[in-house]
Amino acid sequence: MRRTKLIGLALTLCVGLAVAGSAMAKNIKVGIVDTYSGPPSAYTNDVRDSFALQVEKINAAGGILGNQVEVITRDDKYKADIALGEAKELLIKEEVDILMGSINSAIALAISDLCKKEKVPYIVSFSKSDNITGAKGHRYVFAVTENTAMIGKAGAEALAKKPYKNYWIAGDDYEYGHAVGGDVWAYLQKLRPDVKLLGETWWKVGTPDFTSYITAIQAAKPDAVIVATGGAGCIPFLKAAKATGFAAQVPIFMHTATELSTLKAIGPDAPEGVMGTANYMFYYPDTQANKDFVKEFKAKYNREPAVGAYYGYLAANFIKSAYAKAGKVDKEAFIDALEGMKVTGPLGEVEMRAFDHQAMLSMFMGVTKKVPDYPFLIATEIVTVPGADAIPPIDVIKKAREKAQQ
Amino acid sequence: MIFAPQVTLTALGQQILVGLSKTTILFIVSSGLSLVLGVLRIPNVAHGALYMIGAFLAFTFTQYMGGSGPAFFAALLLAPAAVALLSLLVERTMLSRLYEREHMMLMLFTFSLALVFGDLVKMVWGSDYRSLSLPEGFQGSFMIGTLPMPRYSMFLLVVGPLVAAGLWYLTNRTKIGKIARAAAVHREMVGAVGINVSWVFAAVFMIGCYLAGLGGALVAPTQNISQGMDHTIIIEAFLIVIAGGLGNIWGALLGALIFGVADSVGVLVWPQFAIVFPYVAVIVILTLRPSGLLKSTW
Repeated sequence: MRRTKLIGLALTLCVGLAVAGSAMAKNIKVGIVDTYSGPPSAYTNDVRDSFALQVEKINAAGGILGNQVEVITRDDKYKADIALGEAKELLIKEEVDILMGSINSAIALAISDLCKKEKVPYIVSFSKSDNITGAKGHRYVFAVTENTAMIGKAGAEALAKKPYKNYWIAGDDYEYGHAVGGDVWAYLQKLRPDVKLLGETWWKVGTPDFTSYITAIQAAKPDAVIVATGGAGCIPFLKAAKATGFAAQVPIFMHTATELSTLKAIGPDAPEGVMGTANYMFYYPDTQANKDFVKEFKAKYNREPAVGAYYGYLAANFIKSAYAKAGKVDKEAFIDALEGMKVTGPLGEVEMRAFDHQAMLSMFMGVTKKVPDYPFLIATEIVTVPGADAIPPIDVIKKAREKAQQ
Repeated sequence: MIFAPQVTLTALGQQILVGLSKTTILFIVSSGLSLVLGVLRIPNVAHGALYMIGAFLAFTFTQYMGGSGPAFFAALLLAPAAVALLSLLVERTMLSRLYEREHMMLMLFTFSLALVFGDLVKMVWGSDYRSLSLPEGFQGSFMIGTLPMPRYSMFLLVVGPLVAAGLWYLTNRTKIGKIARAAAVHREMVGAVGINVSWVFAAVFMIGCYLAGLGGALVAPTQNISQGMDHTIIIEAFLIVIAGGLGNIWGALLGALIFGVADSVGVLVWPQFAIVFPYVAVIVILTLRPSGLLKSTW
């Protein structure tokens, strides 16, 4: 008799708690699936940390539409099968409102496809293949990071001004590598029809030793090399380029070569004179907005913000503004509000282009140089390409998507 | 498919030299594996993990001792020794109890060791990117004719034959070497003659694992020091050992030569399919001589 009473009491308590729990305001859940192990983490940690900082501010000010924002992160270890597993778990078990991530373009495309089927908005926070918002873009995917078409245009403009004629393309053998190498080359050929491609080298993603590839490229004696490495390859390749003396002999262009995440990870061992593009530098432009952003990030995390921090900031503020405009926690209303949304950040106003859901980020081209003020190299001779000029025109995207449908 | 323009004789020669420096690492690691396989009859799957531990330890020791050139050389001496000590510990406490068991047991045990070590490395060192700098004198290249040759590769080209010579001396001229060779052929006889076979095994295992650690320490400045190093090297090492002849150290040298040079030349001659070259070479070897190139001790 006594035992039954106890069980009955316990059951009532449980039911009571469940009812009480469901009566509380539901959190807005954002699930981030990204690579937090190995070389790519040098880039992605900043996205996660900056996003968390912005979410903290949003929650302290009352949240979004009265709901607190909850962030759940998962490590995909740079592998697509793990990433998809985690994404599915976040969608089905955690019932996230928004998915975010990843640094690997192949993973981003896979999760983008999943989100299209599940009709959940996906914000790409680092991967740059132009297929993401281009040929394979759709209603449910947004990019707060630049893409390879923009990189290609900006990089090609810088290279076109140089006297180099014979090029070599080398990079990681996957989606992003081919996209960025191909795009830079395509735009360069348009600007300078006299350039010649001597050859290409593609190595397996995660290749640890570049010595034999470097010596093989040197044997071909190109005027310059377009290095198409991604999250896993940028840092190790630059290190090898300096260690073998390659960077001193052949001019190199690499996207993110001038970026803090890359240069800080290598430290004083980074090669000088490497050309690169990036979309955020904490020291340029030296505006008050940028200074404030840097100060806030540094106060919390005790390091200067790299480009990932900029993406994290943009993502959080796009989410906040879109929900505010939509007026309700509904995925379709969120997407409608996010299209064309403008957000003001450390580098000024950024627009999320309505047609292809691509953020119109500005590109900065520069050359690496050692300076006494920092324990890492910085970019000098900086040239700015505004977002509106860098982004491919809408009809190019339209054509690419139509071609992909066939 | 770019083929002709850069395949000059100088370029080919340079690639072969770079390939030979790769051979050094492959040889050091495979010879350790071959030694253990030949004498103890253990396919040590944890060999790759020990190589990885060697690399991580080299990184930590260099950092600990100031991060500069001399620190790296000290680490080159200390890291493999530490790996050897670790292996001795494992051998005395766990492995030695399994010698009487069947093969599968030993292999499964080393496999589980590999997994444990792999995760242990992740727990101790974390999964961030780790980078070890070459000492100043080893950075950059110097010119051979018109082509630059990385200095560290030349250093490895010197270390390789030194290790090979040392191993030859050990196995042919020292007492422990001769006993080990005897034990490889007929361990019961060695026991019958009154030699403590158990300690011979311990010594051989230690030497084999020392070589794994040495390979890892040597490779550390040229690569990402990260998880996954163990998986790549163990496959290559086993292929080389099998192609060269089980238990035969000179077979390991030959196999490593073929593997390393095929890899480098492949990159020059056919970049898109470069990664296939060394494996094709192994397939060709095994098709023509299934028991391996040189005589095995099994």
